[in-house]
Amino acid sequence: MTDQSTGKAIEFDRASVRFGQFQAVQPTDLRIEPGEFFSILGPSGCGKTTLLRLLSGFLDPTAGDVRIGGQSMVGIDPSIRPTALIFQNLALFPLMPIWENVAFGLEMRGWSRARRRDRAYELLATVALSDHAEKMPAQLSGGQKQRVAIARALAVEPSVLLLDEPLSALDLKLRQHMRAELKQIQARTGITFVYITHDQGEALTMSDRVAVMNRGRIMQVGSPDDIYDRPANAFVATFVGETNALAGKLASTAEGLALMETPLGGFRAANPKGLRAGDEAILFLRPEKLRLLAPGEATENHIPARVLRRDMEGAWSTLVVEAGGQELKLHLAHDGREAPPSGEIALGFSATEAMILPKGEMSDD
Amino acid sequence: MTKLFRAFGVPLSTVILMFSSIWILGLIAAPQLIMIEQSLWRMERPEGAAEISVQIDGLYNQLDVMALDRSTAEAGTDATKRAADLAALDAKEAAINAEIAALEESESTPVKVYTLANFGQMGAAHLAIFAKTIAASLAVSAIALVVCYPIAYAVAKLETPRTAAVIMLALVIPYAINELLRIFAWQMILNQNGPANLLLGLVGLDPVPFLESGTGVFVAMVYAYILFMVFPLYNVLETLDGNQVEAARDLGASTWNIHRRVVIPHARPGIAVGCIMTFMLSAGSYAVPYIMTRGTAAPWFTQLIYNRFFEATNWNVGAAYALSLLAVCTVFIFGMMRLLKVSLKDIAK
Ligand SMILES: Nc1ncnc2c1ncn2[C@@H]1O[C@H](COP(=O)(O)OP(=O)(O)OP(=O)(O)O)[C@@H](O)[C@H]1O
Ligand SMILES: [Mg+2]
Repeated sequence: MTDQSTGKAIEFDRASVRFGQFQAVQPTDLRIEPGEFFSILGPSGCGKTTLLRLLSGFLDPTAGDVRIGGQSMVGIDPSIRPTALIFQNLALFPLMPIWENVAFGLEMRGWSRARRRDRAYELLATVALSDHAEKMPAQLSGGQKQRVAIARALAVEPSVLLLDEPLSALDLKLRQHMRAELKQIQARTGITFVYITHDQGEALTMSDRVAVMNRGRIMQVGSPDDIYDRPANAFVATFVGETNALAGKLASTAEGLALMETPLGGFRAANPKGLRAGDEAILFLRPEKLRLLAPGEATENHIPARVLRRDMEGAWSTLVVEAGGQELKLHLAHDGREAPPSGEIALGFSATEAMILPKGEMSDD
Repeated sequence: MTKLFRAFGVPLSTVILMFSSIWILGLIAAPQLIMIEQSLWRMERPEGAAEISVQIDGLYNQLDVMALDRSTAEAGTDATKRAADLAALDAKEAAINAEIAALEESESTPVKVYTLANFGQMGAAHLAIFAKTIAASLAVSAIALVVCYPIAYAVAKLETPRTAAVIMLALVIPYAINELLRIFAWQMILNQNGPANLLLGLVGLDPVPFLESGTGVFVAMVYAYILFMVFPLYNVLETLDGNQVEAARDLGASTWNIHRRVVIPHARPGIAVGCIMTFMLSAGSYAVPYIMTRGTAAPWFTQLIYNRFFEATNWNVGAAYALSLLAVCTVFIFGMMRLLKVSLKDIAK
């Protein structure tokens, strides 16, 4: 593995994919920088794998172009693209010992047996698997197999590493460990990582930038902070993290803020999209931004509510309340001393911490 | 055994054991043992047959001598003495005749002798046919493999499951038709005046004696047994994870290398089963060579076996021939398993 940056840039240029009548990927423009850790996040069936297959070469765009390192990839066979793919089920070769798995790409490039064997052992050492080189894949644990798959992909020294939900088969502890390991490998090799996941925690913790996809369309591209704090639309706001959504209509606007009428009353909140009075809109309010008001405390936005239940989460607890016929959630810091609130309560939030976005499709999970 | 009894209870276990023994005895052991026994003996003239025939000759000589005595006695004048001499001679002659009959009886009743000689009975001509049959059966398996592998791969990996089911069904349907009917149809197709030669004629080629040259047997055999190659291959290729093929390609493998390093190693048990089946069926086929050649081309070894049994009526040599074929087939099975590094367990799957 080299230490200088070997990653290449990726560009989608109005690339789209149709399967018969079904538009799996809408025309997409996207640029991924060399050496970037880029995640594609989205619900099942939204077209993530399809997008990845455009890069690996198992699929060509129905229209548009895909470029890697400035070079068009359309019509170029997967076997000669500067990419390596890590499959969700890893797809190790079960009948070859581990070292041969790792050396497979080198074998295909005509390396001598002795040379590729040495190289495989070197690579296995970097993923702490030297002792297992002569074993068969079936004899390894899930995490070990995962590392073999990584070593096998890195052996061909790709400029772009494509990972299709590589950790989804692992348990939580191992997953967290492997996240760190992947991140480290990426930093060390400088390879461009395109990482597919439907686990938002994974996308937010690992990535330089994230694209959120829905129904074959990229809904937003941005840093994890952008995605979480400044969602571009209703889908991203609801798909990433938890949120309370209040539908309503804008009453008036002023200096980046707006007053919105909802069934729970009128609220003032940020209006980043510059919506105008009379527009249908949704107000999004993260549970951690909603506060429990002390009796008599005054705020910008005030919601009378009734406690339904409290879900203990560990470091915090989620209070589920009912207000104006709608359920709302808020996070309470958990200190274990105060008695949890019950009965009739009052909630509040500051205008800058809630966001008004145009009405649109929302994620249902 | 205890496990069996615990799992199924005593009455059911007894029944299971009984059926298993019947299966093993009746289907596996008995036919082989009977054939082996048959091949190991032959009927021979009893020991000491030479002395007996010398003895018999001696007795006949005695009879001749007695005929002389009789004529001397008949010439006698004393009536009483003549009658007494003749009576004595009659008695003696009857005794000798009885002895001859007994000796001849024991000389001509052959005895059963156990020997390996039956296996040494194959002359050069038969040995050549034996070798040709084995070689041709190997070739049939090889052709079937070469033809079936791409088909099975394409159906298993490239087609959607629905299309695959339809194709497999289309492959099976011809096999629902009686084997004889299909082979006779091929006989007609490849006939001197059949459609195959008609087509060749249209292209301006001379008719080919398919049947007489033995090509017909070959073609019909590939046709008759190809299914036994397609199915094992299809079944095993079905279970190959498509991602492995893609992974290999992604890592830079050419189509040939994908097959050499990933697909064929995975398909080994299916290849072994398919080759073993087609080889055994071809080597043991009687109807196909019989119908296709009808004596116009060199016989198949099975026809020789048939002849030993029913025309030369030497069942012992017939059994020895049949066992030789079985032995080669067994060697082939184990050779195949060795070559493809598959165990009996893989094949059973
Ligand atoms: N070869 C194909 N032919 C027809 N439709 C396809 C094909 N491949 C994918 N699709 C469809 O395209 C859509 C997107 O599929 P894709 O595999 O990209 O989803 P995904 O985002 O990776 O989902 P998941 O998270 O479940 O893996 C799905 O609705 C799928 O049914
Ligand atoms: Mg997918």
